[in-house]
Amino acid sequence: MLRALSIFAVVLLAGAAVRAQGSPSADQGEQVRMLLERVQQLEKRVLELEARQAPPQAGAISAANEPSPQLRAQQAAQAPAAAGPGPGQHQHEMQEQQAATVQQMETHYPSLQIRGFGDVDFSATDQKGTTSGFNLGQLDLHLASALSHKVSYFAEITFNAHPTDYTVEVERNIIRYDYNDYFKLSFGRYHTPIGYWNTAFHHGAWLQTTISRPDFVRFGGTFIPVHFVGLLAEGNIPSGGAGLSYNVGVGNGRGSMINRPGDAGDNNDNRAWVANIYSRPQRFYGLQLGASVYRDKITLAGGDFREWISDAYVVWTKETPEFLAEFANVNHRKVLTNLSTNSEAFYVQLGYRLPWFERSVKPYYRFEYTHTPLSEQVFTNQDLVVSTLGVRYDITNYAAFKTEYRNFRRGIGEPRVNGWFAQTDFTF
Amino acid sequence: MNATTKRVVMIVWVLSSLLVAMAPSGAQTTRSGADIAVVVHPDTPVSDLSLSDVRKVLLGERQYWSSKLPVVLLIRAPVARERDVVLRVIYQMSEAQFKQYWVAKIFRAEAASPPKIVYSNDMQYELISGIPGAIGFIDARNVRPGLKVLRVDGHLPGDKEYPLR
Repeated sequence: MLRALSIFAVVLLAGAAVRAQGSPSADQGEQVRMLLERVQQLEKRVLELEARQAPPQAGAISAANEPSPQLRAQQAAQAPAAAGPGPGQHQHEMQEQQAATVQQMETHYPSLQIRGFGDVDFSATDQKGTTSGFNLGQLDLHLASALSHKVSYFAEITFNAHPTDYTVEVERNIIRYDYNDYFKLSFGRYHTPIGYWNTAFHHGAWLQTTISRPDFVRFGGTFIPVHFVGLLAEGNIPSGGAGLSYNVGVGNGRGSMINRPGDAGDNNDNRAWVANIYSRPQRFYGLQLGASVYRDKITLAGGDFREWISDAYVVWTKETPEFLAEFANVNHRKVLTNLSTNSEAFYVQLGYRLPWFERSVKPYYRFEYTHTPLSEQVFTNQDLVVSTLGVRYDITNYAAFKTEYRNFRRGIGEPRVNGWFAQTDFTF
Repeated sequence: MNATTKRVVMIVWVLSSLLVAMAPSGAQTTRSGADIAVVVHPDTPVSDLSLSDVRKVLLGERQYWSSKLPVVLLIRAPVARERDVVLRVIYQMSEAQFKQYWVAKIFRAEAASPPKIVYSNDMQYELISGIPGAIGFIDARNVRPGLKVLRVDGHLPGDKEYPLR
């Protein structure tokens, strides 16, 4: 036991030593800081020299009442006659240089930015009939473009590996008009603003702590409608320290395949609507609480169903610790018979970013539970209990390794399955 | 001291050594220097913000000063002291967390672009005085005429209670 512990300690210390050699030393950082301070001193010196040539101005901290740049530009234009050609010309050059810098840094429209996400996965389980091996995750492209300072466009496109080919999917396609912070109106295809996970984490696995999403919000799943086509109003609610915000949307709701939204049109004349309200209290920076409701009429071969989804969550987004907990209830009522069923799902996830190794390691645990009653007529049975224990290691600011042990049981009377999963994910 | 006690002492010693070896040094977290002033374009219709309001602006949760004037966030490039203070006091994030925060923010379609990066005080001065709605953070000793210095929680840089230092 003691020998094993000693070997473990030596390996850890060796790893720490190698890591310390690989990372830039504190001396280098200090040198850069000193150089930057030197640059600032030189800038200050240049300013002092310029100030000797230019007319004196008021003190800096009381600068709130200084004339606007336009007024100062007018003053500068009138100045050469009084100040002589030398300083005036210099000031003119300075203004030209300033205008060029401002023009260069100002947002130009449209300003398209593209970001990609990808992941490569490995899985091995003791489930009968499955094989272990590698698989390519989604290749995800995200596009964001400001069309003006009030109008923005966002899109997300994924490339998905299948046994015989790849498919391309438009996951999100949104154009948004911002009136102000309290009212922003958008149209398009969204991740439905139900609960937390579905809108906090999209297709890039790198964004989330774990390898996979909780089962009830997984892509391609049916428990909640992950996607939504329609219009959405969102914004802040004037609420002081409560930090309230809202989303309210109207759209097509579930299509004839209930895991898809009605991209090409609704399959009935009834629109779905969704409302989401959440709070980020000012006193508890990192805390977010929220609740959502979603209402739709689903038309299937077996008849029409009224769907009522309610969801509530509490999250602590700082990573020391990270805490996510969310609960959803899906009520289906058959219009013809009034037979009603309730399906429930929840997850609780706890993570903690360790203070060592430059804060690059985050162990985590998640428990998930989903239950659908036998009388449920819209879903197939989705009973599931999962425990996930894993570690995320951030290789760089933009890439991570994750490894997980999962123990799960799907369906009634099915055996428990153990699995080991690994993933490297990144953004580029 | 019997064999079991020796083993326990040995284990505690090994674990303590590991913790000391892996713990970050205090020198990386201590900073000293002048106050960091919150400065805006002179025409910006605010003069006093609470620290929570400054945080909301920097987190991209408040994106408009008024319906016609969007916030333009400016932040110094890494290693500058102004950036260190902003990340430590306002964002309460590491450099990596800050970068990830903005990638996620844009990815969630909550913002169209991240803060603009400025590389020197000169550049910052030019941009804040030239772009309506711009907000930046400057060492209070380097604030120049033509910029509007905001009170934070009712305090100006130099006040004992000023939070950004």
